[in-house]
Amino acid sequence: MAKSICIALREGALEGELAPTLTIKDSIASPFGLQVFDHVLSQLFSSILAGKSPSQGLILVSFSRSPSFYLELLKNKGINVASSDKRIHILDCYNDPLGWKDQIVEISSTVTVFREVKHMDKLFNSIIELGRGLVGGGKIRFSIAIDSVDEMLRRASVSSVARLLSNLRSHEQISSIFWLLHSDLHKARVTAVLEYLSSMVASLEPSHQLANGQRGDLENFALIEHNSKKGKFHVRFKKRNGRVHVMSEEVHMEQSGINFTPLTSEGAINQGLVPKVQFNLQLSEKERIDKANVVLPFEHQGDNGKPLQIYDGRRSLVDSKHERAVAVENVQTKEESESESESDRQRGEIIYYRDSDDEMPDSDEDPDDDLDI
Amino acid sequence: MAAAKTRSSSFSGNLSSAASSLGPGLKCGPNGTVLLSSGIPDLDKILGGGFPLGSLVMVMEDAEAPHHMLLLRNFMSQGLVHSQPLLYASPARDPRGFLGTLPSPAASKDDKSRGPEPDQEKGLRIAWQYKKYFGENQLNFDGQRDGKHKYSNEFNLRNPLERHFINGQRVDCFSIQDSPDLSILQDRCTTFLSQLPRNDGSISCAGRIAIQSFCAPQCVYSNMEWEMLSFIRSLKNMVQSSNSVAIITFPPSLLSPSFCKRWQHMADTLLSVKAIQDDDKELAQLLTGYQDMIGFLNVHKVARINTQVPVILEATTFSIKLQKRRYLILECLNQAPVDGSSGTSYGTSGSCSSSSKTGNLDF
Repeated sequence: MAKSICIALREGALEGELAPTLTIKDSIASPFGLQVFDHVLSQLFSSILAGKSPSQGLILVSFSRSPSFYLELLKNKGINVASSDKRIHILDCYNDPLGWKDQIVEISSTVTVFREVKHMDKLFNSIIELGRGLVGGGKIRFSIAIDSVDEMLRRASVSSVARLLSNLRSHEQISSIFWLLHSDLHKARVTAVLEYLSSMVASLEPSHQLANGQRGDLENFALIEHNSKKGKFHVRFKKRNGRVHVMSEEVHMEQSGINFTPLTSEGAINQGLVPKVQFNLQLSEKERIDKANVVLPFEHQGDNGKPLQIYDGRRSLVDSKHERAVAVENVQTKEESESESESDRQRGEIIYYRDSDDEMPDSDEDPDDDLDI
Repeated sequence: MAAAKTRSSSFSGNLSSAASSLGPGLKCGPNGTVLLSSGIPDLDKILGGGFPLGSLVMVMEDAEAPHHMLLLRNFMSQGLVHSQPLLYASPARDPRGFLGTLPSPAASKDDKSRGPEPDQEKGLRIAWQYKKYFGENQLNFDGQRDGKHKYSNEFNLRNPLERHFINGQRVDCFSIQDSPDLSILQDRCTTFLSQLPRNDGSISCAGRIAIQSFCAPQCVYSNMEWEMLSFIRSLKNMVQSSNSVAIITFPPSLLSPSFCKRWQHMADTLLSVKAIQDDDKELAQLLTGYQDMIGFLNVHKVARINTQVPVILEATTFSIKLQKRRYLILECLNQAPVDGSSGTSYGTSGSCSSSSKTGNLDF
């Protein structure tokens, strides 16, 4: 859940441990990665400002968005950057990553332009330098946020990016790190590498999978619209004791930002308590009605209070005449005016042969009675 | 507990002379092999005594859990306790720091018996999982055969190994992160193994090589897949003709599938560790003792040296537990009694595939 991620990042690393690291992973089917990143960033920075964290500063390495965007964002969240410029510093890898421009206008004192994104070791040194500039040397820690690792992977090889990230993780002054990754921009191995290097993986998935990924279909259009506002947020935590904690939430995009709500169990526990067997134990409506209409061969039953006459294969002439009259009556009381045999066939009968005539009705219910023990 | 059945042939050679000239921490195994301990007594039992000298052990890591480090720690500590030379390579910047986390052997006075709980009824006991109780007799018997050096120790993960074991030893650590290719690692292994040639005579000491997270992404050579494979092949050859055991751990998710298979084929003994999901209700219902487990260990292959007879284990999946939070133990998986009231049929729970995270569980 988003809250537990923010708490874990806020608490930072224990002595001698690698820094808690978060990968936020999204894809085109559920593209809220940047919003989640902004959310985590503002949460972490407010905790740092409020002094709730052992980390004393935040270095933001921005590749995919301009630093002014982040300054605006923090201002909108109510965080006054001007007074807190000793706590955050932005390393601008957005404006001039390859050093093409001759002159860069300084945006503000909290932003430093970086021009050599191809060289991961120089990036590492700049990050550490800036961090030390913010919080001082020694044992004081700071946190790092990397806007998107995709841009880094564009310029440098996977192993050099991995080396940068693992060196940052093991640096004694770093409290926590998090970054954003768009998983469909890379091969599976790259995503696996970044997940290997992180202690928490937060992935965004669409709440409804599109069939075959076809986007032109009208049926899928409603799903796409739904997916553009809502999604699922899954987090896998690697805990210290070696177990993996998995959590899920729903995420909603709104005007004011992003909202996390607990997962509604739509269809999670809908099977009830019926055991999973291979045949169908449920009855459909029609089947239920038919079941209620079956006449059971018990002689006390009868509709209209009349004792039900059940054909028992042996009857005297008188009885048969009587029965025929009754049967005719029965037929006439029915709506259909079909012949008796037809209606008999339609109704579905239970044929019951009674053992002997002088038995009381329903007296043969206990077949053990005539045992002579 | 699974134990390999050792065949004793009718040709019993002069085993007595060979046994006496073995150094500390070594013992004779089946088919003329010499074994050394993995540092985990349960694992030794499962593998039929230990790792044979000249074999290559590979451990497949799980990216989500550090259990392979537990195996490595016990392996390295066991070697240091028996003063066996050790070579350790890791992608960390300071591999020597890892030596500080090695566990020390448990004092034998510690009562770490895994007997039945004291509060059991004195009357009729219904043994639901009766196989658990067979191993008790074996434990006591092994403990009595104590020479000057025990073959295998229980390690207390809470206490660090005493300094004197590490200093003044032939312990070589280095980092493989920055090497542009594998030639440096190759040279170090060659020099290390040249000190331990295999002759027909007695074996005074055996060496251990531990390479951690061999294809870790931060290493420069990690995308040179063919080079890594040929390094493993040459290491395997060198180890085969020397008195040593090499253990390599690697995360298979970072390799392409074909290379992952090739690496697995290179191993003489292949193990894998898997993480356990926390609060997994299905798994908790399926297995007893789920709360104490920290992971799973799978034994995929057991070394066959000098023999064509395969080792068939009773079970290949074991749960890793920390007894009293100190001692690493491996236990067979025990299926929990099926709850009749819940209505699930035996067939569905017996297939053990209810939780996709665990993969194949084998009872």
